Amino acid sequence: MPVYLDHAATTPVEPRVAARMAEVLSSETEFGNPASSSHGYGDVAAALVETARAQVAAAVGAAVHEIVWTSGATEANNLAIFGVAQYYRERGRHIVTARTEHKAVLDPCRELERRGWQISYLVPDREGLLDPSQVAAALRPDTVLVSLMHVNNEIGVVQDIAAIGAICARHGGAWLHVDAAQSVGKCPLHFASLGADLMSLSSHKVYGPKGVGALVISQRADLGGRGRVQLSAQQFGGGQERALRAGTLPTHQVIGMGLAFELASKISSVETARVAHLRQRLWHGLAALGGVLRNGSATRSVPHILNVSFEGVEGESLIAAIRPYLAVSTGSACTSAAAEPSYVLRALGRGERLSESSLRFGLGRTTTEEDIDAAVATVSQALNRLRQVAGTTPVA
Amino acid sequence: MNYNDLTRKYFESAANAGELQGPGVFRGAAGDHAQGTWVQFDLQIKAGTVAAARFLAFGCPHTIAVAAWLADQAVGGRPQPVLQESVQALRERFAVPVEKTGRLLVIEDAWLAAVLPAIDYREGTHIVTG
Repeated sequence: MPVYLDHAATTPVEPRVAARMAEVLSSETEFGNPASSSHGYGDVAAALVETARAQVAAAVGAAVHEIVWTSGATEANNLAIFGVAQYYRERGRHIVTARTEHKAVLDPCRELERRGWQISYLVPDREGLLDPSQVAAALRPDTVLVSLMHVNNEIGVVQDIAAIGAICARHGGAWLHVDAAQSVGKCPLHFASLGADLMSLSSHKVYGPKGVGALVISQRADLGGRGRVQLSAQQFGGGQERALRAGTLPTHQVIGMGLAFELASKISSVETARVAHLRQRLWHGLAALGGVLRNGSATRSVPHILNVSFEGVEGESLIAAIRPYLAVSTGSACTSAAAEPSYVLRALGRGERLSESSLRFGLGRTTTEEDIDAAVATVSQALNRLRQVAGTTPVA
Repeated sequence: MNYNDLTRKYFESAANAGELQGPGVFRGAAGDHAQGTWVQFDLQIKAGTVAAARFLAFGCPHTIAVAAWLADQAVGGRPQPVLQESVQALRERFAVPVEKTGRLLVIEDAWLAAVLPAIDYREGTHIVTG
């Protein structure tokens, strides 16, 4: 199998998480419906769910009752954006977001645009960073939501959410939603200190199972006298999760996420430094190949993501050449025969060709120095060959 | 993106990549790096036949594979004012998605730019350098 350096896309389930999930799935006492309060089976399952809720809350600095389970970060983003937009539609129909957000934020915003809302798309600087003053300038009296990600999924840069949260609080009417799918276990994340009102979480980015996530909904009531954020439910059917997200909870998924988050919160600074060292090793190895450009801020970013563009090669050929040996993400969205260049890199000012010939390396807990060296060797070989074929370097 | 065996073979080997120089070499190019596809062919003509053929290609794996195959197939044949196969036949042979047909047309343009001046070539009348 190729070397796996796509941990920003998803992570393998941590063995202890998988083992605990299997226990619950095969248990004769833990299979109950957590909403069944009329018998002990339901009570057991509900207790498991609440333990997991506490684990997730503790890992992200939130209160237990602020966690609402979802099927993942995409659903959490949808619930936050549509939920706020619908609830506050009589107060205002303006939302602020950024061009570099994940599709799980941009697509709901575009749908709201189609329904008559107005969206302001902030443009980051060439390093992918937003100046909080951009948010302040974009706010209007009818702004009801600011939705910005904490860690960018393509380039790994970390936005100054606390400063943006303070701006939103001063505005008084704009709630702040943060997509933190890429943050947990990779950089400090403390919901109560962030100043956010809503925060989306994903399990499978944190060595937990796919198919489960959460929306953190602030229950603080003292935010400039504006009360607590309110949401309109987007899913109906059983009143689960405080009637905000109906549906029987998947106990095994939820306990998997809970344990994965607990383990992630115990990641040591030594491990973070190890990954940072590996990223530096990767960057130095790639930069030595020549014609390699780093995308995104090198200083304000999580240590697990490195995004680079390669001059003198075509993107689809680059990914085809390395694919047998290396699992990474490309800067092109190959959803059709003609690949589309990354809109995130385009927003940073990268040209179309360089956006297409970019690779995102996502490092993880199992990544070793040998993996990094193998990745550099693979890219080096592909780059040399394709540049020779393209005539962008002399043919030997 | 999936590629058929022939595309993978010629993309991965690209055996005839390079340039030719000297008497009897004809060069033609088409496309643009900035547009994502650029192809160049060099044909060396001796005694009325293609003695050697090289290509350079900046493009997707299909572009590289088709250009490599054309260069491979050309050797030993007489220079003809058409591709060895039609664009449609190449598209089928290499399983090129219809959306990429334009890239095959770039290859055809590069081929014709190289081959057309070579058809009536007589030794000693044409030299490409650099």
